Amino acid sequence: MRPLCSRCPFTRRRSRLEEIRIARPTMFATRKREIDCGLLAKSLIFQWPMLFLQYYLWIAPHLLLGWTLVASFRRGMHRRLPIFFAYAAFETFQFLTLLALSLLSPFPRDIYNWTLVLETGISSCLMLAVIYELANTLLLTQSSRAELLRPLLRWTLVVLMFVAAVSSAALSGATVRRVTNIFQVLDFSSSLVEVGMLVTLFLFSRTLHISWRNRATGVALGFGISACINLATTALRSGLGKSAFIAVDITQMAAFHVCVLVWLVYLYLPNRAPAFAGSGLGKSDIQFWDQELQRITGR
Amino acid sequence: MIIPTIFVVLAFLGLLLILYIAKGHHSTAGNLDQLASQLRSVDVDAFRNLIDHREQDYLRERLPANEFRGIQRERMLAAVEYVRAAASNAAILIRLAEAARQNSDPAVAQAADKLAIRLRLYAFRVVPRLYFGMLMPGVSLAPIDLADAYDTITRQVVMLGCLQYPTRGMSSAL
Repeated sequence: MRPLCSRCPFTRRRSRLEEIRIARPTMFATRKREIDCGLLAKSLIFQWPMLFLQYYLWIAPHLLLGWTLVASFRRGMHRRLPIFFAYAAFETFQFLTLLALSLLSPFPRDIYNWTLVLETGISSCLMLAVIYELANTLLLTQSSRAELLRPLLRWTLVVLMFVAAVSSAALSGATVRRVTNIFQVLDFSSSLVEVGMLVTLFLFSRTLHISWRNRATGVALGFGISACINLATTALRSGLGKSAFIAVDITQMAAFHVCVLVWLVYLYLPNRAPAFAGSGLGKSDIQFWDQELQRITGR
Repeated sequence: MIIPTIFVVLAFLGLLLILYIAKGHHSTAGNLDQLASQLRSVDVDAFRNLIDHREQDYLRERLPANEFRGIQRERMLAAVEYVRAAASNAAILIRLAEAARQNSDPAVAQAADKLAIRLRLYAFRVVPRLYFGMLMPGVSLAPIDLADAYDTITRQVVMLGCLQYPTRGMSSAL
């Protein structure tokens, strides 16, 4: 998760420090511009906590993600869920790239924006691949489940792509900047597809009473929380325009923070297979079915 | 602002659904004994009788239209209950088959799992048909396959039981 160029906390801090040095009339103009941009704080002093929050929400989840990467590597998760591992590694790489770009002086706004768009596209594709990987853990290589789930996922994806295309067209045009529009469409469409696919997977497992292993549940749950919040906020960003940019950014970064925390928690939980109390098929169960069978055959 | 609002509502509903399912998933894991205690008896003969065309035609001929509609509604409601019970038992069988795969013949367990999944999905398709049959008593939508599928999964479970407890001699029932 990453802030847009216009909301990059590092860039904002630098410009603010320059603003402090400038005379009071200019400061008034700066403040007016900030209020126009929808800033929540009313003065520079009160904006520091907000800046800290932005820094924290940008950096902390990625540090935790790095921790998740190391811990999951130690637990051999890169063998069981390799695409998820690649996704986490790519997210970390994306964060480092954008952080490095934001520290450059002068700030390369266009390069930052296009890097963000490109990496968001790659990240969305990887996330979709992770969802398919989670689906595979549900199938457990069983043809009976694969026969049902694969077409279901395929058609869900087709429908979601169509809905995403139509709704993106209806929602786009919030800004005049082409790169921001591309980013918004990409962000919204990927969130919509992810939410739809994850809800389908969860409903499938619920309907058929199929169990996931703990870590796969954790990965799916983390993605689910993050994708749902992203969908809601990207839709709001399109609806409210520029005034909602900062609030949307902070909410998305907070959602990603929660997502990474969920992954970490599930990573440290014991990874039990679908657990069965007793010795599998109990005698009482067999007796019940035996009675059923006797009734059927005795009719 | 209408489209964004729709997506915000959908996103929150999706979030609630995911949290609810994930929570349920977490709490049911390892509760197989509890699941097994939820097995429900399904009288396949009674079910066959409820969805029998001839029975329906017989009742239609003998009863006044109003009375037939009322009785048919009750019959379909009873059939829905049987279908739900069969679907619930199929869900339990899916878990039983997962357990059996770990400590008995995986091939039989997989076959049972396959049948149970089919039965469960079939049950989901049948329930709306039965409700439709309740609204339109004249239309025949008899899901006779469900009774056959239930017969088959019962045989599969007994086979699984024979593999697990070979001394019980349940194969004589097959």
